[in-house]
Amino acid sequence: MSVEEILDIIREKLGGIAEDIRYVESAGIIVRVKPVNLREASHIVHDVLDAYFRTMMAVDERPINNTFAAYYVYGLDDKGINIIIETHADPYTPVLPSIADIVPAADWYELEAWDLLGIRFKDRKLYRFVLPDDWPEGLYPLRKDVDYTARPSPRITYKPPLQGPRLPVGPYHPALHEPEYFELFVEGERVVDVEYNGFHVHRGIEKLAESPRFTYQKVPFLAERICGICGFVHSVAYTLSVENAAKIEVPERAQYIRSIVLEVERLHSHLLWLGVACHLLGYDAGFMHSWRIREKVMVLAELLTGSRKTYGINLVGGVRKDINMDKITAIRNTLAWLRSEFAKLADLVTSVPQIVRRARGTGVLPRDEARKLSVVGPVARASGLDRDVRRDYPYCAYKDVSFRVPVYTEGDNLARLMVRVEEIFESMDIIDQLLDKLPGGSIMAEKIEVPEGLIGIGNVEAPRGEDIHVVITGRGRPYRWRVRAPTYQNIPALKVMLRDTPLADAPLTIASIDPCFSCTDRIVVIDLKTGKKEKLQTVSIPGGCGCEI
Amino acid sequence: MSLKKLLKPFKLISIARRSGVVTVLYPYQKSLITTEFRGKISIDATKCMGCGACVNACPPNALTLSRRDDTIILNYFIGRCIFCGRCAEVCPVGAITVTHEFELASTSTRDLNESLVHRIERCSGCGGGLGATSRMLQYVILHSPASENYVHLCPDCRKKKLIQSLAMKMGARTEDYEG
Repeated sequence: MSVEEILDIIREKLGGIAEDIRYVESAGIIVRVKPVNLREASHIVHDVLDAYFRTMMAVDERPINNTFAAYYVYGLDDKGINIIIETHADPYTPVLPSIADIVPAADWYELEAWDLLGIRFKDRKLYRFVLPDDWPEGLYPLRKDVDYTARPSPRITYKPPLQGPRLPVGPYHPALHEPEYFELFVEGERVVDVEYNGFHVHRGIEKLAESPRFTYQKVPFLAERICGICGFVHSVAYTLSVENAAKIEVPERAQYIRSIVLEVERLHSHLLWLGVACHLLGYDAGFMHSWRIREKVMVLAELLTGSRKTYGINLVGGVRKDINMDKITAIRNTLAWLRSEFAKLADLVTSVPQIVRRARGTGVLPRDEARKLSVVGPVARASGLDRDVRRDYPYCAYKDVSFRVPVYTEGDNLARLMVRVEEIFESMDIIDQLLDKLPGGSIMAEKIEVPEGLIGIGNVEAPRGEDIHVVITGRGRPYRWRVRAPTYQNIPALKVMLRDTPLADAPLTIASIDPCFSCTDRIVVIDLKTGKKEKLQTVSIPGGCGCEI
Repeated sequence: MSLKKLLKPFKLISIARRSGVVTVLYPYQKSLITTEFRGKISIDATKCMGCGACVNACPPNALTLSRRDDTIILNYFIGRCIFCGRCAEVCPVGAITVTHEFELASTSTRDLNESLVHRIERCSGCGGGLGATSRMLQYVILHSPASENYVHLCPDCRKKKLIQSLAMKMGARTEDYEG
């Protein structure tokens, strides 16, 4: 279906309420509506057109057009096109209607926009979400009139102490790998409800990239540091969004190299996860062997890029390191070894009863719940949602390769495990195909100029799911850069997965979304049956990665 | 369940036997870095001209340029370095190389700083500070030979010299300046 046909459908459905409908190649179909019509437009796009909610970007556009703008990005996966609902709020008292009841996935985005930009959302509970508790009221850091060097003195907050005997366990410090906090309400051994409390290590990266300290070519290195495991994904998503916005022609060879490195990153990430899953289930032999195999992938990554992690080879316009014949041979040799070794390991892991029995039927995420929350990546694919950015919104060199997207319908931990195991094999095939077709030529665009005031979207299928960046270009650096890591979309689904399951399965279920967080997580267990008495307990979940923006 | 399926988990024994011990006894055995590894950078003091191209490109501000009295100081703080090697890429004279060195831990931050001090050239006309090092001037002359007569002058003296030479061409006598 061509863009024109989709535009016709949108004109028909939204024509009555839209102020303006336009197609921007770098982003998608942008529909501007008045705030009063936002709910109706969201309902039509999300429920009638059946588009997934992808991200929302709130921007302080007061220096440009004296409004606060919000861009809700929806994706028509089967057509590979985005529908963006744009709406503008008053500059003095910005208020927008809440759409969290129509689009449950938008819940977090609204809280974040309230915290960082002070946009109030009507008819919903707003509370401190991203910012720390002691951040002063009424200071919204992403507003343009707040300097990036602003360091306000903390406000003193009073929190009523918890009732009953308490047992504080474990250090709770931002210097540790991303502390995250789940409150599991239990009745005996069953989890009844889950509260999530995160963003303890919010680093203000989006604000930093807007600061004079940064330029377009410095941000890829900052983006890469969003996440310690899938960093390259973020740097590619950023560069893609800038290149899309500015229509920079990136040489084919650079696109291929990016794709190869992305797949190498997926290999290492999935092998890491598989090891962690084995470890959580007490099968440490599987953990050791998974990481033994992974080590070869890490060495390969270093050979290709110069670094085991945070590769640092990406720039707007291309890549910095070429691949020569020696490296191609090294990749082929590693892949051949990996194929046989991993086939043995995969066969083993999926036959060990202590893994299969613990993973089967636990942490179930039904398809309709998954759809409602627009979950991404292996979590979506294990719940019967056939979505993969590499196929649906092709980027880099993925349009030139064929691969299978594994989809399972069970939605349990075993399905998520199987999706990842199969993806490892698919990744190896993709790298092989890319090497076969690797074109010659330069690896850096000749002309890199980024005009102001353009919008661009870059999406990448991270090992954990769809990673999407939205950029509005500015002078010398992005005017606004919105990052949405995959785990942001997946954590709300944990509520569904954990509810009404045995407590013992909780660690595996939390790990099964491959969360981008803490190495040592704290879980508070509150027992509802035995009165107000609460037990605090730590559950160690190693192998997270830091995806807090 | 068939016996074969039941015995499958025992395949681990054969996998473990075949792979053996893979842990490298670092640092007793040499570490595993490849030829492409990017470690700390080394700045060649005989080539660096203190232009600051690396400072502009450095994403984490590990390289900084400061001016004190008659000197320009290029400082490299390893504590901030992300070992991306952008500096080596943008250096116009190839003074920066990326080494394989990565064992950089130290108990003192002083060990993590490296400074390169350049003296600032003086204007050959009035003797005031030029803001450029002698290597920078040589670099300019090399790339644009026509500037040879002007680069050693400060902007004010350059203006004077230009006006003077223009006036001379038009037949003016400027005896004051000729001595």
